[in-house]
Amino acid sequence: MVPFDDSERIVRDALVRLENLTHIRFSTGYQGQSPESIRGLFGHCDCGTPWASIRIFRSMNRNVTMFSGLCMPKRLLTRWIMMAVMIGLAVHYGSGRSTAESSDTSGPEISPAVSDAVVPSFVNDVVPILTRYDCNSGGCHGKLAGRNGFKLSLRGFAPESDFESLTREGRGRRLNPAAPLESLLIAKANGSVPHGGGQRFAPNSLPEQVLKNWIAAGTPGPLTDEPRVNRVDVEPASAQLRPGEHRQLRVIAWYRDGSSRDVTWLTQFASGDAGLLAVDEAGKVTALRHGENVVRVSFQGEVGVATFTMPHETEVDPQWYAVHNNEIDAPVFARLQALQIEPSPLCDDATFLRRAMLDAVGTLPTPEEVRLFLADAHPDKRERMIDKLLARPEFVDYWSLQLGDLLQNRVERDHDVRGKKGVRSFHQWIRQQLIEGRNWRQIASDVLLAKGACTEHPAVGYFIVTVGEKSSEESEVADSVAQAFLGTRIGCARCHNHPLEKFTQDDYYHFVSFFSRLALDRKPSDQGVTQLLVSTRHLQNLEKQLQQQQEKRTELQQQLQALVTQTTDTQNGAAEQVQAKQKEVDEVEKRIADLGRQIEQTRLSPVTVRQPRTGQQLLAQPPDRSPIEIVPGRDPREPFVRWMTDPANRYFSGAMVNRLWKHFLGTGLVEPVDDLRATNPPSNQELWELLNREFVRSDYDLKHLMRLIMNSRTYQLSAETRPTNFRDARFYSHAQARRLPAEVLLDAICFATDDPEQFQGYPLGIRAIQVPDPGTDSYFLNLFGRSQRVTACACERSGDVTLPQLLHLQNNDGLSAKIQSPNGRLERLLRAEMPVQEIVTELFLATVSRQPTDAERAAITKQLIDVPATEPAPFLQDLFWALLNSKEFAFQH
Amino acid sequence: MFDFHLSRSANRRQFLRVGGLTACGLSMGSLFQARAALGEADAGQPRRAKSVILVYLGGGMSHHDSFDPKPDAIAEVRGKYQPIDSNVTGLQVGELLPMMARTMDKVCLHRGGAHNNDHHETATNWVMSGRFGSAFGDWPAMGAVAAHESGFPGTLPPYVSIPRNPSFTWELGKSAFLGGRYESFKAGDPNEANYRVRDVARAEPLPQLRLDRRQSMLEAVDGLAKRIEGNDQLAAYDQFQRRATEMVLSGEARDAFAIDAEETTLRDRYGRTTFGQSCLLARRLVERGVNFVTINFGGWDHHAKIWEGLDKKLPDFDRGFSALIADMHDRGLLDDVLVVAMGEFGRSPKINKDAGRDHWAPAASLLFAGAGVVPGRVLGQTDHEGGQVIDSPIRPADVACTIFRGLGIDPQKHLETPDGRPVAILDEGHVIEALYA
Repeated sequence: MVPFDDSERIVRDALVRLENLTHIRFSTGYQGQSPESIRGLFGHCDCGTPWASIRIFRSMNRNVTMFSGLCMPKRLLTRWIMMAVMIGLAVHYGSGRSTAESSDTSGPEISPAVSDAVVPSFVNDVVPILTRYDCNSGGCHGKLAGRNGFKLSLRGFAPESDFESLTREGRGRRLNPAAPLESLLIAKANGSVPHGGGQRFAPNSLPEQVLKNWIAAGTPGPLTDEPRVNRVDVEPASAQLRPGEHRQLRVIAWYRDGSSRDVTWLTQFASGDAGLLAVDEAGKVTALRHGENVVRVSFQGEVGVATFTMPHETEVDPQWYAVHNNEIDAPVFARLQALQIEPSPLCDDATFLRRAMLDAVGTLPTPEEVRLFLADAHPDKRERMIDKLLARPEFVDYWSLQLGDLLQNRVERDHDVRGKKGVRSFHQWIRQQLIEGRNWRQIASDVLLAKGACTEHPAVGYFIVTVGEKSSEESEVADSVAQAFLGTRIGCARCHNHPLEKFTQDDYYHFVSFFSRLALDRKPSDQGVTQLLVSTRHLQNLEKQLQQQQEKRTELQQQLQALVTQTTDTQNGAAEQVQAKQKEVDEVEKRIADLGRQIEQTRLSPVTVRQPRTGQQLLAQPPDRSPIEIVPGRDPREPFVRWMTDPANRYFSGAMVNRLWKHFLGTGLVEPVDDLRATNPPSNQELWELLNREFVRSDYDLKHLMRLIMNSRTYQLSAETRPTNFRDARFYSHAQARRLPAEVLLDAICFATDDPEQFQGYPLGIRAIQVPDPGTDSYFLNLFGRSQRVTACACERSGDVTLPQLLHLQNNDGLSAKIQSPNGRLERLLRAEMPVQEIVTELFLATVSRQPTDAERAAITKQLIDVPATEPAPFLQDLFWALLNSKEFAFQH
Repeated sequence: MFDFHLSRSANRRQFLRVGGLTACGLSMGSLFQARAALGEADAGQPRRAKSVILVYLGGGMSHHDSFDPKPDAIAEVRGKYQPIDSNVTGLQVGELLPMMARTMDKVCLHRGGAHNNDHHETATNWVMSGRFGSAFGDWPAMGAVAAHESGFPGTLPPYVSIPRNPSFTWELGKSAFLGGRYESFKAGDPNEANYRVRDVARAEPLPQLRLDRRQSMLEAVDGLAKRIEGNDQLAAYDQFQRRATEMVLSGEARDAFAIDAEETTLRDRYGRTTFGQSCLLARRLVERGVNFVTINFGGWDHHAKIWEGLDKKLPDFDRGFSALIADMHDRGLLDDVLVVAMGEFGRSPKINKDAGRDHWAPAASLLFAGAGVVPGRVLGQTDHEGGQVIDSPIRPADVACTIFRGLGIDPQKHLETPDGRPVAILDEGHVIEALYA
């Protein structure tokens, strides 16, 4: 080893032998090569080292690296860089300024200081360009297979491998330090060589200059000690605009070393709603319509948002915002007022009853219930109805269905470990929790900590479905838990960093670790019950071996005993036999002790999961990266559940708050409903806080939150729109009409016609919302998009409207049969010889839960003129058909 | 296996060697730009397809025993059937395809189908979508993508499966993440006596008076959409409600599916089988502007007793498909309808111990006709055992790219998954240019 000064001297000596290199100076970065290798490399270089070797170059901190290429021949310079590189020295090229001078700038550098005088950093300058110009996007070189033989990591999440593919592959044609502009990296991107992806930036543009400088400087690679970006700020963070107005965003990146710079030109911008806000590639925002939304910015995995508000210009009478039912209304109406959106008026009683029943219990009111409610003169009748609904038995039916979706209660697909019986028992378990009024914290904790025999603990079904017989990292368990319980989608980070959130691949596997101590001990039904063990497959194997050895020991000891008693004394070689057997026993004993140690060791080993890309073993850590203590040997899910149910954890409370809010209001405060993240903020922060606070304060009482929501004026607004609010789909200015879920719609048809549906394997009369198993055969339920519960995604339940659905409602023979069913509603009313007009009223009450309007009555009466009084049935069937086909029937409004 | 993603110069060589593949979209640099410079009209032969009929031979038809006979191979490979001459000089097909033999001048046979997956579901999703494997369930089938891109231009649904989608342990041909709106419309079995399409025609038709009355009653009580503006779901419901009514009442849909309106002699010519009548119904549907029709003709998975199976199935295929091609040709429909027949893979060269052939992904035969495909030719070639493609291999993405380009759909276009992830319709593949040259 030579001291650092020596190596520097060697290089300096070599340097002076070359002409025109007066402005090059060397500084720190000695990496310990021997002087022999330095000399050897010099010699080698002089006789023409291939360019490919340049990839071992390591540049210095980008902040202090200055370079002036003006005063020396490029060829010499690049060769020199190579030589320095090979001896492991980092190079500073100065044009007379000292390192200290150039790094002395404090505060953000506002204008991007890009000129010939900068050696760009691979991680902080080059990769952002590849991201900004979509080179590494999922549709291009960033996809798993790369494109046309050139593969980059998606949005640059793995700079090391990007550096490899840029410098090592492509036979060196991608980078050409001798003639940077001829490098394919530049020539393809600026369009001077045909490129499948077209021109990404113009010749002589800023990105081209940076890439050129980087290549000219010998393509320095990623440095471990380079400051990485750890935050971005957007300016302005929020602003008010009028439609048509523009605003330029500015994005500042902050680095771990406290430095910062303006990265606006390297930032990717995306509008939260392209119909409301337009944003161009340079970050110029244009307001298009009235309303509010965000522009998301992302730079190197760091994300931020800027909120833009475009209030309506027509003044709304402040009276509209003044009447509140409860604390929910204040933040909602404040928001509406800020945006000058007019709220719709309160809905009428009949509409309220229908809406409240469908939302809370998934059931239509009977004609009698409608009549009673309309006749009720109590001013607080809505409040009392809400209390009644939350106590009805159908509440358990309907919310067991909702939780069944969330907890993916279905037959396990790949293997037959869990059939319909398991699904039914988990369903029954969920029902029991709701009957007992257990809160969400308790239910969620019980499910997430479930273990043991699936017959005694039906909730293990959750893990049978989500983990199955895979290992935790191969299975969907982490994705499912995050989506169902935390309302976040982390699945994308399994393969690459989250594109819209600062959630990395490492975070994903840290999270998976919590579930790495789950092992399914599957048994055929005649040999016992399948169990979920807090263990690993390796541990299970060891335990199995231990058991075998223990059995063997017992056997051997018996054999030894027999030998000892049988062979009293004289027999030939008996002693040897005993001795041999004893030796066998000893060996088994040793093996048992050994296995015991191994088991103990494995049990107490740290809880980790292997990150497949880096090979690192990652410890359990929650997605917010908060420190957490895992006691080896204990179930790591316990600290996870403690973290999850911490009252301050907005993921856990927020996930359920958002689901319930969406259930009742039609649109989540965050959309999609299970996509909570920093770049997707709630549309009403104040309301979000309020609901979360209330939910946590009530100890996660589902009914408390439902009661609060249903009693609000916000919930009880009419669905009918006003000219100033019909475009609003985010701020709750009116109730949102939506198609009934598959099960509720089928039940509604069966209820209205009074003709139950027969589900295979269940008694006649069981309602669709009561069916435990989403695999239960039903053309109707599949057609109208029930959830198959394959994933925890709320998107599995489809509210899609399709042509076959409408054909089915209009023209299905089964539906006609229901209308005409001999024991059905219409036939019964006809047999009772009720006047036709009264039957008409009954049919209205049974379908759209209200009396016919005068106009409807008039239209019907007009049609009745041609109907023979003795034959009203066909006419009433047609009216019934029309009511069942009306949007008012099929929609929640 | 066949990597077309080589460097530019290699691509050009590959291009020559495989007999003409043109870059699908923007992935092949200079070549594409050269073509773009020529302008589409000069570069491309007329190949705009108004509609596509995909005959899907689920299970995997044995290419040895149908369109790629190997009479000189050993007995375990050759199989039972003799080759017969077709009306294209030098082209022979299996003896159970006498009608196809007289129709080969109207189709292009491609013996170069090749990939590397021999799992029914996975391979079916691959060939029906052009994309392989997916982290979020299956890929949307081409028909669903076509429906997604075309919308609903007429009274009839844009994507129809006859009689229904293929299905093994799960259903294929679905719209997957594109959503239920783009699922295929299932026509049912048109060979059934008194064939009716589910929910389009009623078992007992209602008199006109009552149909009219229902509509006026509906109009009287269905005022919700008038009082609520700006609600997409409600608007979609309203739109489909009208469309359904049109389908039920206008007669156009009933007429499209009214297979008994065809002359008996023609129906007989297609064969009174599910497949034969499906072909006839497909013709009726594309005639009326349906965008994408899948005829699902499964049951080719002959792992055992293959001769018993093929003795029955090949004549059905022979009759139905040849009638379809001839009939469409006579009516001029082949001008702008692309017909493709394929399965998810071919079958193994060696006959197994159960007298069957097993799954075989590396080689299969496909048929193309219409919409600019030059008829009467053979492309692609397999080795002497029919086991490997030795000339002009085409991959599922190439077939899909050809179909999408034919329909005027840009395969590079990005679709969005429900969680907002953009994915390209195809991530590889080239138009099979040789079909048109």
